[in-house]
Amino acid sequence: MKKMWKKLGLSAATLSLALGLAACGGGNNSSAPATGGDAKPADTAAKPADAQPKGTIKLGGLFDITGGTGDVGAPYAEGEKAYVEYINSKGGVNGYKIELIGEDYAYKIPEAQKLYTKFKSKDQVSAILGWGTGDTEALRQQVAADKLPFVSAAYSENLKNINESPYNFLAAATYSDQARTSIKWIKDNWKGSGNPKLALIYNDTPFGKSPIQDAKDYAAKIGVDVVDEQVVDLKALDATSQLLNLQKTNPDFAIIQQTWGATATILKDAKKLGLKTQFIGLNWATGEGLLPIAGDAAEGFIGVVTHAFPYEDLPGMAEVKEYLESKGQKLEDKNQKFIQGWVTTKIMMEGIRAAGDNVTGEGIRKGLETINNLDLGGLAAPVSFSADNHAGTNQIRLAQVKNGKFEIITDYIGH
Amino acid sequence: MDFFLQLAVSGLVIGSVYSLVALGFVLIYKSSDAINMAQGEFLLVGTYICLTLITTYNVPFIPALLLTLVFSAALGFLIERLVLRPFIGEPVISMIMATIGLASLMAGIIHVIWGFETRVYPPIFSQEPIKLGAIVISPIYLWSLVIVLVLLVLFTLFFKFSKMGVAMRATADDQQAALSMGISVKAVFAITWAISAIVSSVGGVLLGNINGVNSSLALIGLKVLPVALLGGLDSIPGAIVGGFIIGLLESLAGGYLDPLVGGGLKDVVPFFVLVLILMFKPYGLFGKREIERV
Amino acid sequence: MTNRMRNPFVMECGEFHVNYKQETAIYKIARVRRRVMVILAFFAAFPLIFGDYYVGLATLCGIAAVGAIGLNILTGFTGQIHIGVGAFLGVGGYASAIITTKLGMPFWIALPIAGLITAAVGALFGIPSLRLKGLYLAMATLAAQVIILFVISRWDSVTGGTAGIILSRPSIFGFTFASETSYYYLTMIVLFLTALFTMNLFRSRMGRAFVAVRDRDVAAEVMGIDLFKTKLLSFAVSSFFVGVAGCLMGHYTMVVSPELYSISVSIEYLAMILIGGLGSVMGSIYGAVFITMLPVFLRMIMEVLGTYFPGLEGVFVGFREVIFGAIIILFLIYEPDGIAKMWKNLKNYFKLWPFSYNR
Repeated sequence: MKKMWKKLGLSAATLSLALGLAACGGGNNSSAPATGGDAKPADTAAKPADAQPKGTIKLGGLFDITGGTGDVGAPYAEGEKAYVEYINSKGGVNGYKIELIGEDYAYKIPEAQKLYTKFKSKDQVSAILGWGTGDTEALRQQVAADKLPFVSAAYSENLKNINESPYNFLAAATYSDQARTSIKWIKDNWKGSGNPKLALIYNDTPFGKSPIQDAKDYAAKIGVDVVDEQVVDLKALDATSQLLNLQKTNPDFAIIQQTWGATATILKDAKKLGLKTQFIGLNWATGEGLLPIAGDAAEGFIGVVTHAFPYEDLPGMAEVKEYLESKGQKLEDKNQKFIQGWVTTKIMMEGIRAAGDNVTGEGIRKGLETINNLDLGGLAAPVSFSADNHAGTNQIRLAQVKNGKFEIITDYIGH
Repeated sequence: MDFFLQLAVSGLVIGSVYSLVALGFVLIYKSSDAINMAQGEFLLVGTYICLTLITTYNVPFIPALLLTLVFSAALGFLIERLVLRPFIGEPVISMIMATIGLASLMAGIIHVIWGFETRVYPPIFSQEPIKLGAIVISPIYLWSLVIVLVLLVLFTLFFKFSKMGVAMRATADDQQAALSMGISVKAVFAITWAISAIVSSVGGVLLGNINGVNSSLALIGLKVLPVALLGGLDSIPGAIVGGFIIGLLESLAGGYLDPLVGGGLKDVVPFFVLVLILMFKPYGLFGKREIERV
Repeated sequence: MTNRMRNPFVMECGEFHVNYKQETAIYKIARVRRRVMVILAFFAAFPLIFGDYYVGLATLCGIAAVGAIGLNILTGFTGQIHIGVGAFLGVGGYASAIITTKLGMPFWIALPIAGLITAAVGALFGIPSLRLKGLYLAMATLAAQVIILFVISRWDSVTGGTAGIILSRPSIFGFTFASETSYYYLTMIVLFLTALFTMNLFRSRMGRAFVAVRDRDVAAEVMGIDLFKTKLLSFAVSSFFVGVAGCLMGHYTMVVSPELYSISVSIEYLAMILIGGLGSVMGSIYGAVFITMLPVFLRMIMEVLGTYFPGLEGVFVGFREVIFGAIIILFLIYEPDGIAKMWKNLKNYFKLWPFSYNR
């Protein structure tokens, strides 16, 4: 018996080695012409005299479909792919076909690193659509060195620093701007006496802590008292101790920088303890996914809305509807994250359009920097970039949960 | 005083959930000296199956739960037979890595079947908090407390009086001796895994009712490891007491220490406790000390 | 063996030693030395043959291999399970980031110091190994993982908190290792030195003491080995290389942030040494390459399959995890000594061919 296993193992080893060699050979063989082939469309792209389409512009897409943020990452990625398909069905951008090479990195940074190397060297993409704080932070130095514009769904204030992150673009209001605008809204709508009292609830991650200092500074400036801060883990099952401490200072408002799970925990425990605080969640706390988890406790919750809900009647929704109908899908089956992916890709495409025939990373950066007050049909706040500003907007809307549904309560507001 | 009581009570009830999950670890370690790093995935499978029965096939909650338990038992049997049996008596690292591999394998299959979005149970437990004087508790946690206490009694009786229970204890004590007394050690292992899978899926169903079900729920397994070690990996009362202690410590640290250090200590406290236990009482509060001979 | 007329395809059928020096030699046969030279030449020429993408992947494999060798010293050779490698990589990366950016020292000084700092942290968390072993020690290292990351994300004034620190690529005499190729050579030199040191370590008394502790700690103690000292030293040496790997990684990605060092990284490293071969330097390298390249190959396969079965994307999504798990389990069941052993079996097979017999 033992002999047999040994033999089996040996033959398996031989086989796998042979396969490995074959795979290696195959990979190398196919790669050599592939890189050669890649160079060609780029060459023809430089000479616009060629026949239609003028060439292909390649974009790298880092998706999280199977990782920790897959529940919001998957519809976001779907929205990105949908917009690329839509724009190609309309003849592409400036006569170029757009190819989005999207890969799932499962929110694992080493995977994102490998994919980035692939996008840069093998696929020779011109720009990258990223996803979360993890990959955006890990790659921001490299995209700067390799001159590849990078647009993601991580809205950290430090990406605004043009010297540190010259190739990162923010397609929506940063977390700090979202918090500032919420604080301004609180101040403007405050009817009580004295300054409104505010608490901040966040988690111990780069994502969670991103807006906290800015929020405190801004609150101090306009006369909102930050009376408490609480840390609630992203995976928390219970936030009783934090909310009991919060209760001691009895804030009128609390800003939540969390994802759906922790937000639901906070809202449920707040309801259990009978807190009177009005909770305001930033963009990742807001969304359809919060409602079933939080149940009744979500009633009255105010959320920051950076991108429109599919059920809103907006001019920008016509394109989405047109695309989905051509695919036999329905708008009702999509959620806000789909729209977010769609809009983000649209902004990137506008940058490419403005880049004209200079479809290198540098050209697209320049193109993006010419975008001024780009109307997104209400799907998101209009965005503007310039050579010294890569933060597209500071505007958001607020929505409140009424009868188990987010209802928009403000127009686009800034600070 | 109300502040302290509320903290203590909410810590204890969340601790009961930890106890439930820790019980799964302890049951397996007790009979087979193995730590199951895939405990979180067992829990996830259980809760997904129950959820699917309820939402897709419209089975009422209680029958759905019972069906889930039957399925979990079968799954436990199957996995023990297919994956774990070759590792009986192998070094610890093989066992740890094998169950890590198992966790990845199960997670992949779970993702293929159920995807990634957060799914939610229809309201089964009342959402109205229960008030005891100034203290409030969510009903779901109260249920968890009741279940843990029932399981504690059941397992104590099982291990004390049932033939299988005695056989399991004997196996844990000395496999060779158990074998020579005519106990089927393989059967004992299989039944242990089945029971552990059942306990996990009860925990999974409760957790799913607290905050919905998605793949990150499996991480509770890692979080509960310190609980199992605190009580002693081979002690059932240890797991239960450990759960309560960790729950209580978390809650109290959250209430009293977090404001001093700027928060975030609550989730790390179990691991600090873990280091302390390992340094001063390596076999836990109720664990049995191993004696080594050359 | 001195027969110059022999058939070049017939290999030595065994090794014959007359003294210990021969037995512990790294190159036991002259042919092996020549083969090693050829392999080294291949790695030196690698960037000339392959494109940037493959050079980039090879760099990542090389960095992982340095870390895997480090982990193997502790887990494979000394038998102490370590589930917190991810955080130790972080210690190395952060140490180097702080030394180069805040203290303004060059990379060349930061690299060894980062290793030393990680070694110190490793020794600190190795203290429980005096009383703990096996499973319980594994849990202590798991706690180290959580606690180190907590400290990193909390010690804002030093580590920059959760926002991380930005690093630059190393430079020497005005030359910056900015390109994939230059960083590849840097990594390969570090990997070569690491492998050489480790191979030599296990020819020394200390290395043999490590192995004795792994095989039977009580017996080792009886034979006069100071258990505590040996275990601590093993933790320190191992963590040194893990720290060096973390430093290399930090300067490669040019950023360090707590999110880069999660528990999943620790598990990947454990998988590397397990699949490559516990207690084998070459095995660590094979394993590092295998685990690093596995997702890349799986992605290729999925792309090919995806073109034939377009409706199956949903199934492929979980495919990677299933394969990763299945490979670990299958290796553990069928070849617990990993790729290194498989490679050896293969060599033996050809060595004895055509007169091989089944052992």
